[in-house]
Amino acid sequence: MLNRILNHLEELLVTFLMGAATVIIFISVMHRYLSGYDIPGLQDWLLSLNVGWAQELCIIMFVWMAKFGAAYGVRTGIHVGVDVLINQLGDKMRGKFIVFGLLAGATFTGIVAMLGAHFVWENGAHYAIYNALGIAGEELFEGPITPDLEWPTWIVYSAIPFGSSLMCFRFLQVTWSFIKTGELPHHDHGHVDGLEEEGAHVEANPYNMDDNLHMHDLKHKPLGADDKKGGQQ
Amino acid sequence: MNALVIFGLLAVLMLTGMPISISLGLTVLTFLFTMTQVPLESVALKLFTGIEKFEIMAIPFFILAGNFLTHGGVAKRMINFATSMVGHWYGGLGLAGVLACALFAAVSGSSPATVVAIGSILLPAMVKAGFPNRFGAGVISTSGALGILIPPSIVMVMYSVATNTSVGALFMAGVIPGLALAATLGGVTWYRAKKFDYPRQPKASWAERLRTFRESIWGLFLIVVVMGGIYSGIFTPTEAAAMSAVYAFIVAVFIYKDMGLKDVPKVLLNSANMSAMLLYIITNAVLFSFIMTNENIPQALADWMLGNGLGVITFLLAVNIILLLAGNFMEPSSIVLIFAPILFPVAVQLGIHPVHFGILMVVNMEVGMCHPPVGLNLYVASGITKMGITELTIAVWPWLLSMLVFLGVVTYWPDLSLWLPRQLGML
Repeated sequence: MLNRILNHLEELLVTFLMGAATVIIFISVMHRYLSGYDIPGLQDWLLSLNVGWAQELCIIMFVWMAKFGAAYGVRTGIHVGVDVLINQLGDKMRGKFIVFGLLAGATFTGIVAMLGAHFVWENGAHYAIYNALGIAGEELFEGPITPDLEWPTWIVYSAIPFGSSLMCFRFLQVTWSFIKTGELPHHDHGHVDGLEEEGAHVEANPYNMDDNLHMHDLKHKPLGADDKKGGQQ
Repeated sequence: MNALVIFGLLAVLMLTGMPISISLGLTVLTFLFTMTQVPLESVALKLFTGIEKFEIMAIPFFILAGNFLTHGGVAKRMINFATSMVGHWYGGLGLAGVLACALFAAVSGSSPATVVAIGSILLPAMVKAGFPNRFGAGVISTSGALGILIPPSIVMVMYSVATNTSVGALFMAGVIPGLALAATLGGVTWYRAKKFDYPRQPKASWAERLRTFRESIWGLFLIVVVMGGIYSGIFTPTEAAAMSAVYAFIVAVFIYKDMGLKDVPKVLLNSANMSAMLLYIITNAVLFSFIMTNENIPQALADWMLGNGLGVITFLLAVNIILLLAGNFMEPSSIVLIFAPILFPVAVQLGIHPVHFGILMVVNMEVGMCHPPVGLNLYVASGITKMGITELTIAVWPWLLSMLVFLGVVTYWPDLSLWLPRQLGML
């Protein structure tokens, strides 16, 4: 239940950031050109607006999208690796390597989350929180602000600890479900909408290509793994 | 010594099958904890600032624009247009396949999606018209790769991020090689069709051509928005990408009506998923190249090459071999992000033009998508055609061979890439 709410929040956040960033850049470009035309009223109003911060906001939104989207990507299985070698191994060995890879992901994102949290804490979060609680010490560092929007950078940079922790959690989740069910999340790189009516919709799923060369979970038997006939189809 | 340890560790981690971004990151962390004095805080900062450049933000926008137009309806319009233009020549539907792939790939920005979209509509039609299955499979799986050479191209943005080369100049430089490669693939198709006397389509009337052109022009105009916008200086490359995303949205929802407003969140989510994956690789690749530069590895490599009297010709040959080998294991974005920062300084010292070097890398990536063991195009094509990989490998060889010859031409004839941007005053 809690997990489903988290999933929804994650999807909503990245969808919103992607759409909003596009709209912001579109508006700032429109603003730049429309304010060049001498339309009474409109021009004055446009000139009174300052959209110089659009670029910075777009970058911040995309960095947040990247951090949380990467966590979402673990759940959808979009992070691919070089699996030519391990796919030649037997199921049991391959399973071990897959678990190792997933745990390595969890380790890396965990370490990054800790580094990031430390960095954010030292660069303003400590000061801001203690100040808000009214127990600020003199020696605390207030931390820098961003150039255009003048937001405290620690808020902006907190995408690293939050996003990385979430990603770490996702890696552990995928590991757990892989150990339990032998299934990995799949991402379909060749998915195209609007082909159904042709009756020719194909699942171009690299995980399910029935060969020994692409990543596959333990449910999909690679070629020749089970039947002695084996060989190419 | 350190270089060997770094690369050895990276190779070992990668071969265990973990995500490429994670193996890059773990290599960097291991190195930082054990071998240098670089403060860890600067790394945490780099994790954020590594992608804090407005130029990089072109990638999510281009992906979004491509996803809006990656739709069966768009593919069908491109195929109709291509068939009406070249269908009556030898290898009619095959030639139309090359043209449709080039157009759709440029607009959608994804090679595997192109193979699926064009292939699943055109291949059954080709078989019905009397073409052998192999011929169609060979044409579509190789032509699908054209997208990363014809602008707008995400791999080119990756290269420009890794080496600080102008995106606009790279896009312009890709135009002529892109058209030349399409012509080469078309030429092979035509020659083989003539040799084996494959069927031709009835010649389309000019009215028909005009009608199909008017249908497909909305999608194709995306290329004009991007290239025209950048060249005329109306937009920066990132703004052009954002405008093309808005344009693609309007075309998909209001003009083509392939999707409704309710489908938009799904497209946004898919694009965010894809972009986040690429941005995550970029973040870690930036860290990795930061370590490389810190250890002076590209410089040492350049000195070694110059010290041994290796010239441009040998270097470029070596680059091609390394990239083709890497293309056996990794997908294009990762290869560009890992190898460009290492090879680029050497290339510059040898006097190779950055833009030419970029086009060379992109053509290499294109070849890598079409050959076994892991060329994604082949696997996607195998899904559509129900052919095995071995059979497909045989099916693509005439086109693959011509691509390799073309790679040689691009490698040793810089003017092919550099002429257009020079004429336009972008270099």
